[in-house]
Amino acid sequence: MARNKYDVDEELDTPFNRQHMKRLLGYVQPYKKRMMMAVGLMLVSSIAGMATPYLLSVGIDVFIPQKNISGLVLLAFVLLVTLIITALCFRHRLVIMSDVGQSIIRDIRSDIFRKLQKLPFEYYDSRPHGKILVRVVNYVNSLSDLLSNGLVNMITDLFTLFVIIGYMLFLDPRLTLVSLAGLPPLVLAIFLVKGIQRKRTQAVSRKQSNLNAYIHESICGIKVTQAFAREEENFKIFRELSTEYRKTWMAYVRSIFIMWPIIENISVWAVSLVYVAGISLLGTGASVGILVAFVGYIWRFWTPIINLGNFYNALINSMAYLERIFETIDEVPKVDNLPSATEMPTIQGKVVFDNVTFSYDDGYPILKNMSFTIEKGQTVALVGPTGAGKTTVVNLLSRFYNVDSGKVLIDDVDISQVTLESLRKQMGIMLQDTFIFSGTIMDNIRYSRLDATDEEVIAAAKAVCAHEFISSLKDGYYTEVNERGTRLSVGQRQLISFARSLLADPRILILDEATSSIDTKTELALQQGLETLLKGRTSFVIAHRLSTIKNASVIFYIDRGRIIEAGTHEELMKKRGAYYNLYTAQYSFLEAV
Amino acid sequence: MSFKWIWTYIRPYGLIMLLGLVLVLITSGLAMVNPFMSGMIVDKVIEASQTHLLWSIIAVMVITTLVKSVGRYAYQLIFETVSQGVFKKIREDIYNKIQTLDFDFFNKNRTGDIMAKMTGDMEAVRHFIAWVIYMVFENATIFIFAVTMLFITNAPLALFMVAITPVTGFFAVRLAKEVKPTFFAIREQFSRLNTVVQENISGNRVVKAFAKEGYEIEKFERENEAYREKNVASAQVWSKFLPIIDALASSLMVAMILVGGILVINGSMSLGELVTFNGFLWALNNPMRMVGWLINDTQRFVASAEKVMGLLESEPKITPNEDAVQKDRIRGSVEFCHVGFSYGDEKVLEDISFTAEPGQTVAIIGPTGAGKSTLLNLICRFYDCTEGAIYIDGTDIRQMDLKLLRESIASAMQDVFLFSDTIEGNIAYGVPGATEEQIQWAAQMAGAHEFISTFEEGYDTIVGERGVGLSGGQKQRIALARALLKNPSILILDDTTSSVDSETEHRIHSSLKSYYRDKTTFIIAHRISSVKNADMILVLDEGRIIEQGTHDELLAQKGYYYSVFQNQFGDFDSFISKEVG
Repeated sequence: MARNKYDVDEELDTPFNRQHMKRLLGYVQPYKKRMMMAVGLMLVSSIAGMATPYLLSVGIDVFIPQKNISGLVLLAFVLLVTLIITALCFRHRLVIMSDVGQSIIRDIRSDIFRKLQKLPFEYYDSRPHGKILVRVVNYVNSLSDLLSNGLVNMITDLFTLFVIIGYMLFLDPRLTLVSLAGLPPLVLAIFLVKGIQRKRTQAVSRKQSNLNAYIHESICGIKVTQAFAREEENFKIFRELSTEYRKTWMAYVRSIFIMWPIIENISVWAVSLVYVAGISLLGTGASVGILVAFVGYIWRFWTPIINLGNFYNALINSMAYLERIFETIDEVPKVDNLPSATEMPTIQGKVVFDNVTFSYDDGYPILKNMSFTIEKGQTVALVGPTGAGKTTVVNLLSRFYNVDSGKVLIDDVDISQVTLESLRKQMGIMLQDTFIFSGTIMDNIRYSRLDATDEEVIAAAKAVCAHEFISSLKDGYYTEVNERGTRLSVGQRQLISFARSLLADPRILILDEATSSIDTKTELALQQGLETLLKGRTSFVIAHRLSTIKNASVIFYIDRGRIIEAGTHEELMKKRGAYYNLYTAQYSFLEAV
Repeated sequence: MSFKWIWTYIRPYGLIMLLGLVLVLITSGLAMVNPFMSGMIVDKVIEASQTHLLWSIIAVMVITTLVKSVGRYAYQLIFETVSQGVFKKIREDIYNKIQTLDFDFFNKNRTGDIMAKMTGDMEAVRHFIAWVIYMVFENATIFIFAVTMLFITNAPLALFMVAITPVTGFFAVRLAKEVKPTFFAIREQFSRLNTVVQENISGNRVVKAFAKEGYEIEKFERENEAYREKNVASAQVWSKFLPIIDALASSLMVAMILVGGILVINGSMSLGELVTFNGFLWALNNPMRMVGWLINDTQRFVASAEKVMGLLESEPKITPNEDAVQKDRIRGSVEFCHVGFSYGDEKVLEDISFTAEPGQTVAIIGPTGAGKSTLLNLICRFYDCTEGAIYIDGTDIRQMDLKLLRESIASAMQDVFLFSDTIEGNIAYGVPGATEEQIQWAAQMAGAHEFISTFEEGYDTIVGERGVGLSGGQKQRIALARALLKNPSILILDDTTSSVDSETEHRIHSSLKSYYRDKTTFIIAHRISSVKNADMILVLDEGRIIEQGTHDELLAQKGYYYSVFQNQFGDFDSFISKEVG
C-alpha cells in the first residue's frame, strides 16, 4: 500500500530516452507536411533577417563613401523587402505552429484519457487521484511549447547559426575566426550552468508540487481540521513547506539570472577582439562597415545558442513528463476484452462461482476456492466480518478484477469470454462509496441511461423514496449538486445513486452497503418498492443491518475468503453457527434488559 | 486598489526596493556607454587614426559591461527576494484565512477555484513584483536615456526615429487589449477540462459500473477540442500583431540607414554617430515592444490581485469572539434553547430544546435528511443557529472562545476524511504529540487495532487521500480512534459505525462505556442497538423533535421509535420464545 504523501518528493530526474523521443516524433508525424512548411518559412525569414547587418555594411562601406543617395534608397528598399518577407513568414509560422502544437497536445491527451477509461479499479486505488490528474492535464500541457515552437525553433536556430557564419565568412573569413573565439568559453559556460539550472528547476517543481498537494488536502480536509482545532499545527507545516519552496526558488533564479551576465561579458570580449583585429586588418579588406556588421552578427549569434541551451533543458525536463505519460498510455489493463470476446446475451440471472480463488496482492488470497450457484431471480445476501471478502465477490461478478483461478459464469457463460461493456451494462451496481457528478440531480440519476425521459428518472427516484426530499428542494430535480459541496447528506446521496442504479434497468442488481446511511423506515419502504420492480431479477446484497437481509432467498456467511455457512435465515438460525452468533450479537444488549 | 493592497506587503521591503531601483537607474545609464564607444572607435580610432585610444575605449567597454551585468544581476535578485518575501507572506495569510473560513464558505466555493487562486492568481502577483515593476522602470529609463543621447548626438535623425516608435507602442497596446480576453477564455476552458478529467478519475468506479466509458470519452473530447480551439484562437490574435510590431521595429533600421546615410553624405553627421545610432536602436525598440506586454501583465496582476484580495477579505460568519468568556476547560453540559436553523430560505431545524449533562449520552435518530447532522454541526459552531441559543456550561457558545470550544469537542463525522499520511499520523491528527501507546489505545477502543495490525507496515501504513484502499468500515474506525484520542469533554459520533458489522459495533460500544463516563456524548445512528443505551433519545423529523425520552419511554409511546424498533427487532419476541421453547 506504499503511497505518496505531500512531503515525499516525486523524483522527476529522468535521463534522455531515445525511445520516448521516437514516440513523441510519432505524434508529430501526421502534421509533418505543415511542420516542414513552417521550417521552410523560418529558413526564408532567417536568411532575409540576417541580411540586415550585411546590408548595413554595404551602406557604410559603399554608398556613403560614394555619396550615392539613390544607392541608399535602393538599399533601404531591399531592407524593407526583407523586413516584409520576415514579417509574413513570421505570421504564417505562428499560425501553423500553434495549430500543429495544440493538435499534437490534443492527440496525446486523448490517448492518455482513453487509456484511463480502460484501466481497472486497481490502477486508481494505488495512487493519489491528484497525481493521475496532473498527468492528463498539466504534464501534457508542459509538452505543448516544446512540441510546437521548441521543435521549429531548434531547427531554425541551428540553421540560423550556419546562416550567420555564412554571412560572416562571406564578409571576412579572418574576422570570422576571431569572433568565433568567444564560442568555446560560451558553450562551456552554458553547459555548466544549464546542468545546475536543470537540477534546480526540478527542485522547484518538486517543492511546488508538495506545497500544492498540501494546500489541496488542507482545503479538502478543512472540516476535520476545524473540528480538531488543528489550525496552528497545520500552519507550522505549511510555513515549513512554504519556506522550503522559497529557498529552492531563490537558488533556481540565481542559476537562471547568472546566464545573461556570462553571455554579455563574453560577448563584449568577442566584440573587443573583433575591433582590435579589425582595426589592425584595416586596409587589407576590413572596413568600418564590416566591423559594424560583425558586431551585429556577434550579438545575433548568441540568441540561437542560448535558445538551443534552453531547448535542451526543456527537452530533458519533459523527459520525466513524457515517461509518466507514456507509462500511463502503456499500462496494460489487467482486465480487458479478450480478442475473441463476444457480446453477453440478455442476462436471465443464473450465477455460478466455480472454484474461484482471488488475491489483490500475490500471496494474500482474499477468496479461496469459492463455489456456489445462484438460480435466476434469487436474492443473495452476503454477511460476515469487515475484510472477509464480501465486496470482492461482487467485484468479481462485475469483472472489475479477473479471478486468479476458477470461473465466474452467468447463465452458463464464462464472463471472461464476453465484452466488459455488454456485461456491465446489464448489471446495476451500487457501490459503497457514492459518487455524485457536478450537475443537476436529474443528470446524476440519468447518468446510467442517457436516453431516459424525465418521467423515467422521476419514477426511479420515487421507487427509492428519493422523490420526496428532491421535490422539497427549491429547484427540485434541477438542483445543482457536486462531489463535495452542497448540503446533501450521505443518506440522500445514497438514495440518488440508488435511483441511478435502478434507472439502468439492470438484469442483476448489486447493493454493496447501499443503504448504510439510510434510516430503517425509508429503507423498508424502499425495499417494498424494489420488490415489485425487481421481480424475477437476481440480486446481491451486502449489509450490516441484518433486518435488511433476513428475507433473502439465500444468505452466505463469508469469513476469511470462504463461505462457511449458506442457507435461508431460518436454516442458519437452526444451525446455531456463525450467522446465529452474528444475529444474536445485535440482541445481546437487549438480553441485558 | 490592487496597488495599494500590494504596497502594504511591499512596504517592509521599501528600503531594499529603493536600492534596487537606484541600481536599475545606474545600469540603465551604463547601458548608454557602449553604443557611444562604438561610435568613438569609428570616429576617433578609425577615421581620425588615434589608435592609442582603442585600448582605453575597449577597457571602458569591458568594465562598464562587467559593472552593468553585475548591477543587473544584483537588482534582479533584489526584486526576486522582495517578491518571494511578499509572495510567501500573502500565501501564508491566505492559508491562515482559509483555515478560519466556515462551512458556509466551503459549500459555496469549489476546491478547484480556491486552488486556482492560490496558484495561478498568486503567480500573477509574484510575477508583477518580481518582474513587471523593475521592467517598467528599466525600460522607461533606458528609453529616456537613449532618446536623450540620440538628441545630443544628432537631433534631426533622433526626431525622425522617435516619431516611428509610438506606432510600435500603439500596436503593442492593441495586441495587449485584444489578446487579454483570449487568455481568459483559455483559462476558463482549462478549468472545464480539468473538472471533466478530475470527476472522471474520482468517479471511475461509477463510470465502470455503468459501462459509460464511451460517454465519458465523448464528454472529454468535446472539452479537449475546445481547449485546442481556444489556444489557436489566441494564437490568431498575436500572429496578427507580433509580425507588425517586429516589422515596425526593424523599420527603424531602414529609416536609420536611409536618413542617417543621407545626413552623413551631407556632412551634417559623422559616420561614428551613425554607428552610435545603430547601437541605440535596441534601446528604442525594446521598450516599445515591451509596452504591450507590460500593460498586459499589469492588467493580469490587477485581475488576479482582486481575486486574492477577495479571498483574503471573505469574512467567516462565524468568528472567534474577541472578548470571549475566559475559561480553562469545558465541563460539557449542553443546552439547546428553542434553536432554529435555516439554510437560505430553507428551514432545516425548528424549535429544538433539550439539555444534556456531563456524563450523559444523547442519541439522535430519524429519517434521512431530518437535520440530524446539522444539529450536531451547530454544537461545534460550524454554523450558527438562526434562532434561539445553545449554551455550554451555561454560556452561549457564541460568547465562548472558538478555539477552546472546538478543542473540547471531538467528532467522528459521517463523511470520513483521512489525510494522505500514515495511519498513526491520521489517528494523532488532533493530538500531534501523542505517544505510540496512546495511539494504540485509541485504535483498540475504536476496534481498529486488530485490522491495522494485519497490515504489513501496521500503523506506518500510508493511506491515500480520503483513505483509498481501506473499506468503509475501516475508515470509520480510524476516524473514531482519531476522535477518541482527543479525550474531549463532548464527543460527537455522527453515524460513525454504519459500515461496521454489528458484532464489532457492539464490542466498540461496550468498551467505550467507561470512556463515556465523564463526557457528554452525542450519537447519530440508524441501528437501534447503537442508540438504545442512551440517557436520552431524540427522534428528529423534518427539523423538529417529535419524540424524546429513554428507550423504554419511547417504546411505550408506540410512535416513530417504536416502529423503527419493530422493523429491526420485530421478531425478537418470537426469537426469544423459540430460544426458550
